[in-house]
Amino acid sequence: MKIKCLCLALAICAGLACLTGCGCSKENKSGADVHVFYYTYSDPYISSVRSALSKKLQEAGLSVQEYDSNNSQTTQTEQVQTAITKGAKMIVVNIVTTGSDDASSGIVRMAKDAGIPVVFFNREVSDSVVNSYDKCAFVGTNAAEAGYLQGDMVGDYVAENYDKVDLNGDGRISYVLFMGEQGNNEAIYRTKYSVENANKKLTAASKNELVFYDSSNTDGYLLDKEGKWSAQAANEYMTTALTSYNAANDNMIELIICNNDNMAEGAITALQTSGFNTGVEGATTIPVFGVDATDAAKELIKAGKMAGTIKQDADGMATALAKTAKNGIEEKALLDDMNDYTIDQNTAKVRIPYGIYLGEE
Amino acid sequence: MKEKTGFGGRIQAFKSLEPKDRRLWYKEFFINNSLYLFLFAAIIAIEIVDPMFLSVPSIVNIISLSAANLPIALGIAGCIILTGTDLSAGRIVGFTACVAASLLQASGYPNKMFPGLATMPIWLVFLIVVAIGALVGTVNGFCTAKFHLHPFIVTLATQLILYGVLLMYLMNGNNNGQSISGLDAGYDQFIKGSFLKIGKTPIPNFVFYVMIITLIMWFIWNKTKFGKNMFAVGSNPEAANVSGVNVTATIILVFMLAGIMYGVTGFIEAARIGSNSATTGLNYELDAIAACVIGGVSFVGGIGKIRGVIMGVVLLRIIFVGLTFLSIDANMQYVIKGLIILIACAIDMRKYLVRK
Repeated sequence: MKIKCLCLALAICAGLACLTGCGCSKENKSGADVHVFYYTYSDPYISSVRSALSKKLQEAGLSVQEYDSNNSQTTQTEQVQTAITKGAKMIVVNIVTTGSDDASSGIVRMAKDAGIPVVFFNREVSDSVVNSYDKCAFVGTNAAEAGYLQGDMVGDYVAENYDKVDLNGDGRISYVLFMGEQGNNEAIYRTKYSVENANKKLTAASKNELVFYDSSNTDGYLLDKEGKWSAQAANEYMTTALTSYNAANDNMIELIICNNDNMAEGAITALQTSGFNTGVEGATTIPVFGVDATDAAKELIKAGKMAGTIKQDADGMATALAKTAKNGIEEKALLDDMNDYTIDQNTAKVRIPYGIYLGEE
Repeated sequence: MKEKTGFGGRIQAFKSLEPKDRRLWYKEFFINNSLYLFLFAAIIAIEIVDPMFLSVPSIVNIISLSAANLPIALGIAGCIILTGTDLSAGRIVGFTACVAASLLQASGYPNKMFPGLATMPIWLVFLIVVAIGALVGTVNGFCTAKFHLHPFIVTLATQLILYGVLLMYLMNGNNNGQSISGLDAGYDQFIKGSFLKIGKTPIPNFVFYVMIITLIMWFIWNKTKFGKNMFAVGSNPEAANVSGVNVTATIILVFMLAGIMYGVTGFIEAARIGSNSATTGLNYELDAIAACVIGGVSFVGGIGKIRGVIMGVVLLRIIFVGLTFLSIDANMQYVIKGLIILIACAIDMRKYLVRK
């Protein structure tokens, strides 16, 4: 009996492999044209890019194969290596390691040896990497812009609602900031410019600048030590902070700025456990700001439990990527016919603009 | 039931069987080797779907991916033979990779961790990282043997300590928490370069280093007193102790040897991936443990062969590459990998129960 179970399980295993395998190979007998490598499937924003991109590529008549690197550069490098031996015609890479060039230049070298175009997206690679190969491009945002916009959004909101936000009426707003990852440029810019720009707006409105809630913390942020930009990290920090900084002690944290919406969600869950941001009539709502405009964040904003977020245009990025991929497959210049996009001056880097999202649309 | 050794002996034993027993023998044969048969069938199926799978570049790719994952699996196999495990393996790989990378950054690289450091000889750095691996391994082994703690607990602790140390290390000098890259060209060439090509496909040098290391490990396991002691302690520590084996020393040595293997993996990994951060090596031990149990290194203790470990590592890599060639959805890959580990272990346990 046991033996039969085992054999059956093996058979199912093989069956699954065949089913899924055949499903894809029917679309294109010679294998996929475009191979897309995502740094992790568990990132909600990346998931929205993924669904938009695979739809757009199929509409353009290209077959796609997708990979999940699960946040490991090793896995990603091995996947790229394997895809190239498989005969990929074009690779689109959401690099895992940012902030250093070796991983990205290694991938460019592999693509160069195989003579196929490579487009990086979302997580930025340096100019020198993009310039090192004529069939290499980057599609992303201007990393600093999200920070600037978030700062403007926070500044405007606080300046307008100063007395409402200042719960204990001491004339100062105490805030907490959750940083997603150490050494990641986007996290660094968002952490820096969100507060800087908010303070600029407040100074212009002749109000006091923001104050970090914990005066003994000189960093001015709380970091997800695992670098996962996770709701869990923000939630744990927030729950801990709320035990000593709360309404009863009259030192409640009055403003929460997060590097992304995931962390904002985590912070909101922690607040809700303490009776804040429940959306119930009479409950106090602490303004929470994120970046990404995920569906969950939009829902929270609609329900009045979150103040605002910065929208990364997943659809716009997917459209631009699909265009470069089509150019690459047709062996045109990668950025052919893309003059209506913002492109860096000396480098093939396409910039998709951010936008402020406060619940309209 | 003592197994007959030698091919001739086995054939004779088979011929002497009754027809009914022969049927049973076939059945046993198919079940015990089902994984190999499955692997064989899978290779043929993948080859039919995509003939590129068995092309030279693809085979070299599978070999080089397997080689990179082999030393850590060989190290952890020793711990499993002692009915233990090693959760710190991945972190040791990560730490040694970062140390190796930081000591071998090209001079003049703008974010060099130690700007004043001249390029060190590669062999010296190799010895340093191997020593670090051995040191951590010895601590693991010492705590396990002397305090009679389960290695799961010991290595869970050392893994955390090591991660903390690694994070501090990454803040050193000019590095400031960034990933360590900009490696010296000589080091890069030593690992990734190649002196042998098949057709137009270069075989990376580290494949040969791993071959040498595997041979050494085979020798240690099978031809030395220490190797025999390791299996004895793994299958029954009390009995081993009574028959005069120094159990404490054996356990410490097994973990030290494992640490050395992680150091070797880290040394190769640093140049192979080229970008070393706090996440380097994270969860490597899980793949290594999976490879060992697939290859028949049993958590029951005292059972395991080098060729089993190699086969486990290669099987996992073939699954990885094969699923890519079959264009199987990434979500599905996790499911399939999980199923294969589960089935492999069930078959392995069944063999053990039969023997018992």
